[in-house]
Order: sequence, then C-alpha cells, then structure tokens
Amino acid sequence: MARLILHRLGAVIPVLLLVTVGVFTLLHLTPGDPIDAMMAESVDATVKETLRRDLGLDQPIGVQYARWMGRLLRGDLGRSIRNGEPVLENVGRRIRPSLQLAAFAMAISLLVAFPVGIVAAVRRNTSADRVATTFALFGICMPNFLLALLLIFVFGVTLRWLPISGYTDPLEEPLLGLRSLALPAITLGLALAAVITRTLRSSLLEALAEDYVRTARAKGLSEWMVIRAHVLKNALIPVVTVMGLQLGTLIGGAVITEYVFALPGVGRLVVDAVFARDYPTVQGVVLLIAIGFIVSNLMVDLLYGWIDPRIRHH
Amino acid sequence: MPDPAPVNVVSRRGFLKTAAAGASAIALAPGPRDALAQTPKKGGTLRVGFYIEAATMDPHLSGSKIDRQVYHNIYEPLLTLDVKLGIRPGLAESWQQPDPRTVIFKLRRGVKFHDGTDFNAEAVKFNFNRMKTEPKSVRKGEVASIEAVDVVDSHTVKLSLRRPDAALFATLTDRAGMMVSPKVVQERGSELERNAKGAGTGPFEFVEWVRDAHLVIKRNDNYWNKQGGPYLDRVRYRPIPDDTVKLQSLQSGEIDVMDYVQPRDVAAVRADKSVVVLDVPSLAAFAYQLNHTKPPFNTKALRQAVAYALDMEQLVKGVWLNVGVPSNGPIPPTSWAYDKTILPIKRDLAKAKAKLAEGGRAGGFTFTVTTSNIPINVQEVEVMQAQLAEAGITMKIKLVDSATQLSDGNSKNFEMISYQWSGRPDPDGNIYQFFKTTAGTSLNWSGISNPQIDAILDKTREISSQADRKKLYSELTRILQDEFPMIYTVHPIEPKAFSPKVMGYEPVPDGMMRFKDVWLR
Repeated sequence: MARLILHRLGAVIPVLLLVTVGVFTLLHLTPGDPIDAMMAESVDATVKETLRRDLGLDQPIGVQYARWMGRLLRGDLGRSIRNGEPVLENVGRRIRPSLQLAAFAMAISLLVAFPVGIVAAVRRNTSADRVATTFALFGICMPNFLLALLLIFVFGVTLRWLPISGYTDPLEEPLLGLRSLALPAITLGLALAAVITRTLRSSLLEALAEDYVRTARAKGLSEWMVIRAHVLKNALIPVVTVMGLQLGTLIGGAVITEYVFALPGVGRLVVDAVFARDYPTVQGVVLLIAIGFIVSNLMVDLLYGWIDPRIRHH
Repeated sequence: MPDPAPVNVVSRRGFLKTAAAGASAIALAPGPRDALAQTPKKGGTLRVGFYIEAATMDPHLSGSKIDRQVYHNIYEPLLTLDVKLGIRPGLAESWQQPDPRTVIFKLRRGVKFHDGTDFNAEAVKFNFNRMKTEPKSVRKGEVASIEAVDVVDSHTVKLSLRRPDAALFATLTDRAGMMVSPKVVQERGSELERNAKGAGTGPFEFVEWVRDAHLVIKRNDNYWNKQGGPYLDRVRYRPIPDDTVKLQSLQSGEIDVMDYVQPRDVAAVRADKSVVVLDVPSLAAFAYQLNHTKPPFNTKALRQAVAYALDMEQLVKGVWLNVGVPSNGPIPPTSWAYDKTILPIKRDLAKAKAKLAEGGRAGGFTFTVTTSNIPINVQEVEVMQAQLAEAGITMKIKLVDSATQLSDGNSKNFEMISYQWSGRPDPDGNIYQFFKTTAGTSLNWSGISNPQIDAILDKTREISSQADRKKLYSELTRILQDEFPMIYTVHPIEPKAFSPKVMGYEPVPDGMMRFKDVWLR
C-alpha cells in the first residue's frame, strides 16, 4: 500500500509540470491582455506600462514561467493581477464551497444511484427497470443549467422552500448552509446519479450472469445475500472508476452550477480569472484542479485494492 | 425611395419625457419614488443584487463601472449631480472661477472621514496629488488639466489649471472628485483596495467585503448632512452573475434591488406586481468604431455606405425591444447638449449603393465586425448582417471575450468593432477621447485624425458658456454623421427593479444608486 502511494506520488511531479506549462502557454497565446482588461477606461499608456513592468508582464514568457515556478517552489502562488490578493489565500477560501458542494452532490448521487441501479439490474426488463433507465437517460441528457433553472423556478420562486442563490458556510451555520447548497447539490447530484446508475446497472448485469452467482443461488442463499455478498462487490470496480473521475471534475469546480447559483467556488473563480487574463490566479486554480484529479485517482486506486484484493497482490 | 415618417421621434420623445420628468408616472405607483406621502423610518438591511463583483475599493485606482455603485454611498465627491444632471455642491459648498484657469472651492466645514479625521483643504490637496502621481492611478487623464492645488486656508483650495477645462466640474462629480482619508492611504496603502474601512465621508461606512459573496456597508450615524437619511442600517451588495437568477432572487424576496433588468425581461417584470421597475435613462452610447487606418474603412464612402444600409429603428425595436432609443451620435438625450433637431441616420439603400459605387465597390464588399460574445450583442450584429446584405455588403462576425475585444481595439486589430460606453455627465467625456487625434493607445480606436474635429474639440473645453458649447457639440455631431469614425446605434435605458418595500430612491441618469434617502417600508 505504502509503495503504491509512493509510486503514485512520484508520478505527480511530471504531470503537474506538464499541466502548468500547457496552461501557461495556452493562456499567453490567447489574445487579450490583463492590463487592458483591468484598465478598460484608462487611456494613459505610461500607467499601463508601469503596471506591466511592476507585474513582470513585460518579460518573455519563459522568464515569466521560471519566476512563477521559483515562487511555487517556495510555496508562493503569487498575487492576482486583478486585485493584488495572494492567490493561495483566494483559492484556499474558494475551495471550501466547492468541496462542500462536491461532497453533498456525491452523497445525493450515491443515495439515488445505488437503490435505482440495483433495482434496475435485478428487475431487468420490467417496468421498474424502464423507469430507472429513463431516469438515467434524462439525467444524462438534461443540461445542468436547465435543470438548475427548473429547480430554482419550482423550489425557489414557486414553493419558496429553498434559497435561490448565494452561499452560507455549513460549518458555521449548518442549517442555513445546507439549505444554501441544497439546490446546486441536487442539480449536480442528479446528473451524477444518472451516470452512476447506468454504470452500476450494466456492471451488475454482467456480474449476475457469472457462474459464481449461479453457484451462490444453488447453495440456497437468499437473493439479497447473493447481491450483497457476491454481485455488488464484483460490480463496483467500474462504478468507483466513474465516481473518481466525476469527483475530480467536481473539485475542479462545477463552473456552470456555481455561476447560476452565485456560489463563490473555484469554478467561478477560474472563469472570471480567464476572462480577466489573471494569469497567476488561473495557474493557481489549474494546479489545484490537477492535484484534485490526482488525489481522486489515487483514492480510486486504493479503493480498487480494498474491493478486489487480487489488484493489491499484483 | 419614399421617406417614411420619422417614427423614432415618438420613442425619443418618450425617452426625453422620462428623462426630464424623472419617473413621474412611476411615482403614482407604490415603490421607490413614492416616499413623499409617507414618513421615512430608520432601520433594515437593503439587499442589492449586482451582475458582477466589484474590482477595488480605491476610487483613484478604479476602472470598472460597478465599483462606482458602491463608492457613491461611502465616498463623496467635491460636487454632485442632481436628477437632471445639474452640478450641485458636494463636499465643496461653493465655488468660484475668477478666470478660466482658476477654480476656488470653499469646502464644507464639520465633515469628518469615517476614521475620525477632519476633511479639509489639506485632504483635498493630498487627494489630487495622489490621483496625479500614484503610479497605478486611473484618474490621471481626468485630472490632467489641474496643474497645481494650493491650500488657501483650512477650508479653501485653489486649483490652477494648465488650460481651460469646461468639463472639469462634471468630472469632479465622480471618482476624480471623491475624497479619501489621507490617514487611511498613508497607514494602510494598497490594503485600501480590499478594505475601505474609515476611508470615506459618505452616508454609509464600509464594513466588510468577502469576495464573490457580499460587500456590506453600514449607516454613518455621524453623517454631516442632517437632512433626510441615511435611514438604512446596512446595505448588502451581492454579485449574482446570472440575469435570470438575479431576477428570480428579486421576485422571491431574496434581494430588494437589482441593478439592471435585461431588455428581454422588462415586459415580464412590468407585469409582475411583486416588483417595481424604474426606467433610468442612461448617459450611455453604444456604437461601432470603424478603423480609419486600413481598408476598407479608410475610404469614407464605404463607411457611409454601411451607415446608410443600417436600420437603427429596427435594431432598437427588434433587438433592444425599445429599451433605448436610436442614437444620432455620442450625446445621449439625457444631456443638456443633446440636439433633437439632428435625427439619427435614416436607412437609405439607394444612397448606400451610390456610396458603394463612389467608394469603388459598386458590387459590394466584405468586412469583419468584432464584438463580445454576449447574447444581445450577438443578436444586434446578426440583424445588422442581414440589413447590410440587402445593400450587397457582406459582414462577417468575429465573437470574442471582452479582454480580447479591448486588446484588439487598443491595437487597432479590427475593421469594425463594437464599443459600449457607459457615458459621462459632461458631453466631453463621451466625445473628446474618442475623436481627438492621439498617438498611441487611446479610446480613439478608429484612428480618426481630422483637424476640423480637433479644433472644435479643443474649443469645447475652452469656453464655459453652456449655450456656446452646445452649438459646438451640434456642429460636431453633424460632422460625425458625415465622417463616421463611429456608427452609433442606441442610447440604452437602464431599467432597475425594486421590491415594493423600497422607498425614496431618486434615479440620476448616471445610473449610480445612491441610498442616502432610501428606506424600507
């Protein structure tokens, strides 16, 4: 186990290097200039030049990257071009709502996907299966923003059960916080549930057709025991893979959902930063997203070993 | 071609009526302006929804419109605007102009910054010097005409001007006139950008700003002006980027005010009894700059061909849904300098084709328009594309984000590019920097350099008689309707929406929301 983790961590450095070089290059190749964006109303060229020099933006891109990397090695992600705020501080604050939203959405998706997926597989080709499959198809096809607006209309405007926009930290005010995250978490959670339901259903069906299932049934085990002890665990590997990928995306910020519900998460931060050509902020967030993906992939790998000991031994 | 009746006159008249009479019709309905009949009461938190996050709390470093919305409640300028854009006393109680190059301000006594320090002549001098010398100051251009600031006595300052500057008074009603506590600047420096505690003299004090979550200000109980408000305990600003969600937040009672209602939503919001809409005529002018420095628009006849092939009335009706009026040039109908005898360019396909022939492109030509990828902008260029096609002109559309648009404009990397200017109270702010011959970067993206225009522009700054200036601006508007460095499309109205419990709001056409006299029913 420790070796697996160490091996994985060793692979992290080249991945992060590649990601940061890629983003840095792409950002600088994109037309648009942070100083122009910041000083749209100013016509004073000397002010712009001074600022450009102060921020080191007059240097060649290679030098800018080397400086950024140098600071990174000292644990400094630099300061936002737009407002001078330390990027680390900003990202640190913004990751909180994103993580909470990710956890909440993931919980909702599992609560929905497991019962629905299991019922669909066990009662294959019945009306229950058809309802479940339709739900999954609907969840996958429905664009996030549309579902968000529908939920807002029903639960926020018409019924007035839940707040429409804004964020309260559940760690400070649990009830208000959960309420503020409810609609965005449902929006993300339902889409996620749809994907997991489909994956779970198909891998359960595959496992149900295996010989060991027939053997288990022949031994006289109840159907529930067969599912729980033999089928589910064998069907989990693809589901965990999907969950890991989705979790990485969620940590990277559910951009549209955060935008619609005015949540101050990393997704919104990175979009605003891209529009303002705020290079250090974009770099900081992308680094974080990359780390998020790496960590969730590592967690998936560890989970594989727990689910299937054969993977551990190999 | 028959000349159709000038239908736009009707809508412009409507616009002017709204501008001149404020919102008298709306005052009959309950809501923001219906405060006269009732006694204001203290207390409550006003929750305001904005489309975007503020950028900085330092008025001298600010380059974004949204910042000003907050500033006008925590800072105060030397001069203020009334609802008809007249110049009124602010932190300066009175002023004299003994000669065109000297301005003497008598400052209000008994005014304190929120940090407890006195507002006086030294503070004014400090602020102007900061705007002129601070490396990151965005105000340099606005105060460029001020050569020196002298303290005459504790509450009198004398500004010596480099050249006569008729627009200076209007400029001092906004960020360039806003006074920041010298103590806060000296002690906290760049932190002021994020934290304006103690920095202003206004009816509200800065409390906290949690980025992308909220910005809170509270009542200044020691405010110098004892007439009227401030009544509200607090104002809480929140950025809600999605327009639909912002509107729904208002309808469901999560916010009390929204800064701007999209034209597409105006009709629906008017029908909703739980919301009050105020049409606030703006100072804005939306236009397209035509690049004079390269083909095809270095040929005047081709610029004219495009202008005559466009139908502004249709654009305003079909795209802006009449939430605005067709434009005759850079001066909005809210301005004293607006000349209603000059009509917007009328569509004339025969003339457009004649101009094409004159420009050596009788069979039409192709060019590209650059605009930002925002729904209403996209709709506008799509309608224009269809209109131009009828004259044989092919317009390609290049959609970019706003940062790209700005850098394309500044580097003159365009043929035609959209330009949306929020407007300034004095016409100078809508005109001079766009058309004056300038080397290097400026808002003169078109690159026009015309000695006649330059001479008029300089003259408008030198003379102080408003009537004479108005004549010059009319002359200029006519020249611009011939030269077309920019093709103006619309002067938008900026509707704001309120919960019916919000009372006492006075709309000033600069679009800034001043909450001093606002209270909650």
